Amino acid sequence: MTRTSGANGGGQQGSGKLPRKRFYRARAHSNPLSDSHFPIPIAPDDVDLSQHYPRYFPADKGEHGDGDGDAEAPRIRFADVGCGFGGLLVGLSPLFPDKLMIGMELRDKVTEYVKERVLALRASNPGQYDNISVVRTNSMKYIPNYFGKAQLSKMFFLFPDPHFKEKNHRRRVISMHLLDEYAYVMEVGGIIYTITDVEELGIWMRTCLEKHPLFQAVPEEEIKVDPVVKLLSSATEEGQKVARNGGQTFQAIFRRISLQEE
Amino acid sequence: MEDAAVEEAEVSGAGEFAPALVAAHPLGNSVAVAVGPELRVFDLKGGCAVSLSDDSGGCSHSDAIRAISFSADGALFASAGDDKLVKIWKTDSWRCIQTITSEKRVSAVAISKDGLYVTFADKFGVIWLVTVGEHGGGQVSSDNKPVSLYGHYCSIITSMKFSPDGRFIATADRDFKIRVTSFPKNPIKGAPEIQSFCLGHTEFVSSIAFTSHSGGSSFLLSGGGDSSVCTYSF
Repeated sequence: MTRTSGANGGGQQGSGKLPRKRFYRARAHSNPLSDSHFPIPIAPDDVDLSQHYPRYFPADKGEHGDGDGDAEAPRIRFADVGCGFGGLLVGLSPLFPDKLMIGMELRDKVTEYVKERVLALRASNPGQYDNISVVRTNSMKYIPNYFGKAQLSKMFFLFPDPHFKEKNHRRRVISMHLLDEYAYVMEVGGIIYTITDVEELGIWMRTCLEKHPLFQAVPEEEIKVDPVVKLLSSATEEGQKVARNGGQTFQAIFRRISLQEE
Repeated sequence: MEDAAVEEAEVSGAGEFAPALVAAHPLGNSVAVAVGPELRVFDLKGGCAVSLSDDSGGCSHSDAIRAISFSADGALFASAGDDKLVKIWKTDSWRCIQTITSEKRVSAVAISKDGLYVTFADKFGVIWLVTVGEHGGGQVSSDNKPVSLYGHYCSIITSMKFSPDGRFIATADRDFKIRVTSFPKNPIKGAPEIQSFCLGHTEFVSSIAFTSHSGGSSFLLSGGGDSSVCTYSF
């Protein structure tokens, strides 16, 4: 029975051996501008959902589970951009057991860790965690390859790289230009959740979202009752580190709206 | 109506030289050819070469021209390239009426259907928009600074076209993607609404074109480095 090294989540009794983070450590920074060679789907229909969510796409049903089944094949609805070690996905999975979720991560080793973690959790918790998965990809360049128009109902950006230098601000994962793409893959009414412990980045992300015509701030009353919100600061390794150090976090939670005619 | 094609320059060994570009006036009045920094125009009606006048003192571009385009009605022509300048010309007099400075080298240029705006793409994949000056005002537009319309993140835009009805602008990049964006009535505020992504190429997209249908609907065609031509309804 393996002792887990600080991974959060429910009881670990069972046979699934959780991966040990120390074997999957990688530098926090990965250069998103370098064209690493990982396979990218040419279009969203090419995303092989049966690889990620085998329980939902049994092999005998044919390629993507599309077809003559009674219900329409489920599609991915939540995306965790820069999912790191998968803490948020693990926390979200039981809250929305019928929703498929995917984490996107640039670092190879970290993606492998999350894959192993998901497999282990599925093995030791039969019937659970079948709805989460991870893919190694550069989400700043390839989000439209993975998701079709208005597909996602939630997108998460937890503790992104702050890119302090002004000349690197254009590499930030939240920017006016990239918000066009995120708005495209999100349905009207979908929610984008961002959090950071860097105040300047928090102000930047909030300002971009406020200025972008396709997003509108979610009112406080709604944020208070949204079960997802407290996971933003507690579910991930980064969030837990900030809490341990007594740091402050800055959230910006916005809803995708349709363009208002002037 | 298709108005531009790209031909490889006949230079041995060259990766350094920009391909020669050809564009035809939509009504067949003239043909423009860009060879390196030189812009040459041939008047088909008059059967003679045209000399271009450029009040800014310089003679056309100082570095390779990377993109040229006529406007839909043929009244305007735009050229842009490695000298980071975008030049707008009136095609009746072939006078350069406006020169815009870009921060980065320019890879694509297009003129909106109503002839009011010129868009150009820089090497970071950002699409910029300027208003076409009225009576050829100042040569270098300082008060009319380019505004950023949208961007293909860190990708080089290889082709940019407006739809025949002027409602959309399509841009293709080297990362196999084509984005079709709603072109708003007031584009100065940006173009945030993506109509669709046209995906399917497995290599860079080199060229796109809209068809016009008398029935009202049009399609988008694209060609790319994967040796395929794709058709999309967007």
